Amino acid sequence: MRYERYHIPIETVPTTAPPVPKFIITRASNCVNCGKCEKACIFGVHKRKEGDPREMADPLSHLCKNCFRCISDCPQRALTMSLGQDYRALGHGIWTPLRVSTIWGEAETGKIPVLGAGYRGMFAGPDFDGVWTDMSEIVRPTRDGIHGRETISTSVDIGRKPLFLAFDTEGALTTELAPVVELSVPMMLDATRLEAAGPDVLMGFALAAKGLDTFLLVPRDRITKELMEAAPSQIVPVLSEGTDVKSLEVDPRTRMVELCVGASWKNWAKAFAKRFPDKVLSLRVQASKGVEETVLEMLDAEVPVAHLEYDEDGREQGRGETRHAKDSLRAVHRAMTAKGVRDEITVIASGGVAAAEHVPKTIVCGADAVSLESALMVALSCRHCSTCRPSSCPASIGAAGPDWVRGRVMNMVGAWRDQMLEMLGAMGIREVRRLRGEVGRAIFYDDIQKEFLSILSGGGEHG
Amino acid sequence: MAKRPSPYTDAYPEVALAPAERLQFMNRYSVRRADTCISCGMCESLCPYGVHKRVEGHAKILPPDDRRCIGPSCEVNYFFCVANCPTKSLSVRESDNYASMGDARWPVEMIMATWRQAETGKPIPLDDPGNVGRSGGGFDKLYFKLPEAKGRFDPLKIKTAIQLNRRGSGERIEIPIPVYGGGMSFGSISVHTMVARAKAAKMWNTFICTGEGGYPDALIPYQDHVITQIATGLFGVKEQTIQRSRILEFKYAQGAKPGLGGHLLGDKNTPEVARMREAVPYTSLFSPFPFHSVYSVEDHKKHLDWAVAINPKALLSVKVSTPNDVEMVSVGSYYAGAHIVHLDGGYGGTGAAPEIAKKNIAMPIEYAIPKVHRFLINEGIRDQVTLIASGGLRTAMDVAKAIALGADGAVIGTADLVALGCVRCANCESGRGCPRGIATTDPELQAITDSGWGASRIYNMYSSWRLQWCELLHRLGMTDISELRGRFDLLSHGDNPAREVGK
Ligand code: SF4
Ligand code: SF4
Ligand code: SF4
Repeated sequence: MRYERYHIPIETVPTTAPPVPKFIITRASNCVNCGKCEKACIFGVHKRKEGDPREMADPLSHLCKNCFRCISDCPQRALTMSLGQDYRALGHGIWTPLRVSTIWGEAETGKIPVLGAGYRGMFAGPDFDGVWTDMSEIVRPTRDGIHGRETISTSVDIGRKPLFLAFDTEGALTTELAPVVELSVPMMLDATRLEAAGPDVLMGFALAAKGLDTFLLVPRDRITKELMEAAPSQIVPVLSEGTDVKSLEVDPRTRMVELCVGASWKNWAKAFAKRFPDKVLSLRVQASKGVEETVLEMLDAEVPVAHLEYDEDGREQGRGETRHAKDSLRAVHRAMTAKGVRDEITVIASGGVAAAEHVPKTIVCGADAVSLESALMVALSCRHCSTCRPSSCPASIGAAGPDWVRGRVMNMVGAWRDQMLEMLGAMGIREVRRLRGEVGRAIFYDDIQKEFLSILSGGGEHG
Repeated sequence: MAKRPSPYTDAYPEVALAPAERLQFMNRYSVRRADTCISCGMCESLCPYGVHKRVEGHAKILPPDDRRCIGPSCEVNYFFCVANCPTKSLSVRESDNYASMGDARWPVEMIMATWRQAETGKPIPLDDPGNVGRSGGGFDKLYFKLPEAKGRFDPLKIKTAIQLNRRGSGERIEIPIPVYGGGMSFGSISVHTMVARAKAAKMWNTFICTGEGGYPDALIPYQDHVITQIATGLFGVKEQTIQRSRILEFKYAQGAKPGLGGHLLGDKNTPEVARMREAVPYTSLFSPFPFHSVYSVEDHKKHLDWAVAINPKALLSVKVSTPNDVEMVSVGSYYAGAHIVHLDGGYGGTGAAPEIAKKNIAMPIEYAIPKVHRFLINEGIRDQVTLIASGGLRTAMDVAKAIALGADGAVIGTADLVALGCVRCANCESGRGCPRGIATTDPELQAITDSGWGASRIYNMYSSWRLQWCELLHRLGMTDISELRGRFDLLSHGDNPAREVGK
């Protein structure tokens, strides 16, 4: 087989939704149509009217880039800039307008967002905003940056890995090897909680999963024949709790099956392993308080994959005190490493992934891979409205065609993977498998702020 | 080399007003006059600030010039136009323009305050809103525990100079203010901007740095004030440029994109830029990360020795970003021969950088400074090293806070650009580059910035900064800025709730 470097093809896939301008430029009635603003704006916001060049056309606010040049140059002081109200209303919860619009850009171009003028945001923040990843300066060996000669691998293995291999006296392998699937990116597409994804959108996701060499998780009752045929080895049927394992039928090309679980799953898992020894089983649990115990139980029962489902905002589900995934996953990872069995189970995390950096941050906290949910919809121009109504969707998500969906999703995942490579390159880590649980290569706001404050209160050290 | 005047006893050059018509556009409040106005002229006769004007012989009154308006708080005055308009046609409120400028790190107040200082050279109050950002952490939550102001002071009796060479040998270089200009490469900013910074550096007897884009001939007249940067791409680094400089800066990493190397987009690599960098025009230029010849402290020393062999007199600065082990890196740099250890935190930077790198990689400078400062003390080498901080230091107060956290001085980049009229729109890298003619190589756009005017503005800004440092030191009962270094006890960490801003 010829070696080919994994690569996500990107192409520009413009949105069909109306633009949501970040800045609104208004021209007051005292404008004298002198045209100075047209000259001033290098982004083309100000143009003369097509039919009547004596007058200025309405400003194309969505092109405005906040430079204030036209405002300084207008002799009449007729121009005003204001913050776009629709823009400011984008998203809710962890989905800030900036995150929504960033994904739109990534899904359109497939490129890493690059801007000048340094950082413009908050010092730190809750959850993932309180995590920085490390970088390696001069004194660490063997690393070669992202533009270097070596590649950085983003492949992950999904399944149960033996901690060691056993051989008989003849030297033949006696360890029974469980099925393991290698995915080229640590990001799966997951439509399980995306009720607004219609058949065409699902089809687009399936095509994207194929192009990306990853899984698409779909509830079994939404898997049509066409969908299955489009990407047979990418589709992971998600079974609802209570599915009968004895009568279960699985397409032979399926590589992984996921079961949503509640209280009892041990016998189910055993029966599944017996009936489908060549398929990986993933158990999807709502991550809640004490989730680390559940994962340990799964480990004991030789379940290959635990899929921990956090809520929309990346927090544990259920009442009372809930942890964010960053803390919850660290606890899970710690519980397993304490027993020396971390590699026996694969941990997938979903929920709360709303930006490129959330993927490596989820992994550094202890997940092997993440599943992308709402982000996929946002890639399709969804605004993540707090009241989502397909009938009045401003982005007409329902009307999206499969190829367009595929392009947008692949672009976003491509841009996210490239950004992950930037972070891995900066850390001097050559493959994403090595990132998992590497909390020593991350900086946590809670810890460093505490250290900082204690230095401050320790008083002056005039050296 | 000619003897340089002692920077601290000499009087500084006078500040010269450096206004700009095009920077006078911002209105804090907006005054609207509705169509119901009958042009009676009442408002004109009332407003003492001249917001309302009628041109002789015109029937209609002019649209209000709300830049002069003092806002809704004017309502306590008898002349409040809104209350007095017989047709109730006037309204005054916060302006949309004002709300649309700036960001959490550089709020509009800070941009406007910097413009004011650049224009007049007059200091702003230490607790001016323009001296603190809204990012809800770091410098924006640190305050000096300040005793009440006591009496007047003579700024010439307060020393703000710092020594850049604290090792036993080599040229002593003292700069009269504890800041010098950070590297901004030719190509990412225009030559006018570069020269403006160089001129200002000469006026202040401090430095700027070439960045990694080579050494344009236009900087040669200022060569005593220009640091040659040796970055991983080695673009435009030649023996002559190394020999020309009193300070050489090795850039290992930069805070805005730690671990990622530099990147000049193809659009900006014009033939002129390409000539300087000895590269092919209109190709994207990457400088790799890291130096491919440096994988250990020993390699690093070899690297510095190489520069010393070419220019034995130069001071060596090592610019690194802020990983977890930043203190080890700093100590290693010192033992390899560095005079200056320059820590660059993630929240600054002027050129293009991936958004993901700015927020997420390596720690903010506020954390790194005390870490390194204390480590160097424990190593017993604190007084042999000049520790310089950069990356998100925006104002005189940020610099003072960095010094109180343990730095000797600071490197400034963005504030210089803001002094030149940057509005922090972040378009420095898109298409033709900066629409305001600062960070661009577009011939038409770069003509907007005149280097003489720019130099005065940057000079003025630092004049204001110096006076603020003097006031701060005076109030703390100090006469020398080096007394402030490492005085954590003078800082308090305020829990002002973070205000999220619009972008
Ligand atoms: S510069 Fe002002 S007056 Fe001239 S056309 Fe534009 S908006 Fe009208
Ligand atoms: S502010 Fe700048 S980008 Fe926006 S319309 Fe005016 S000139 Fe164009
Ligand atoms: S493009 Fe905007 S942010 Fe960049 S230098 Fe120019 S004005 Fe400043």
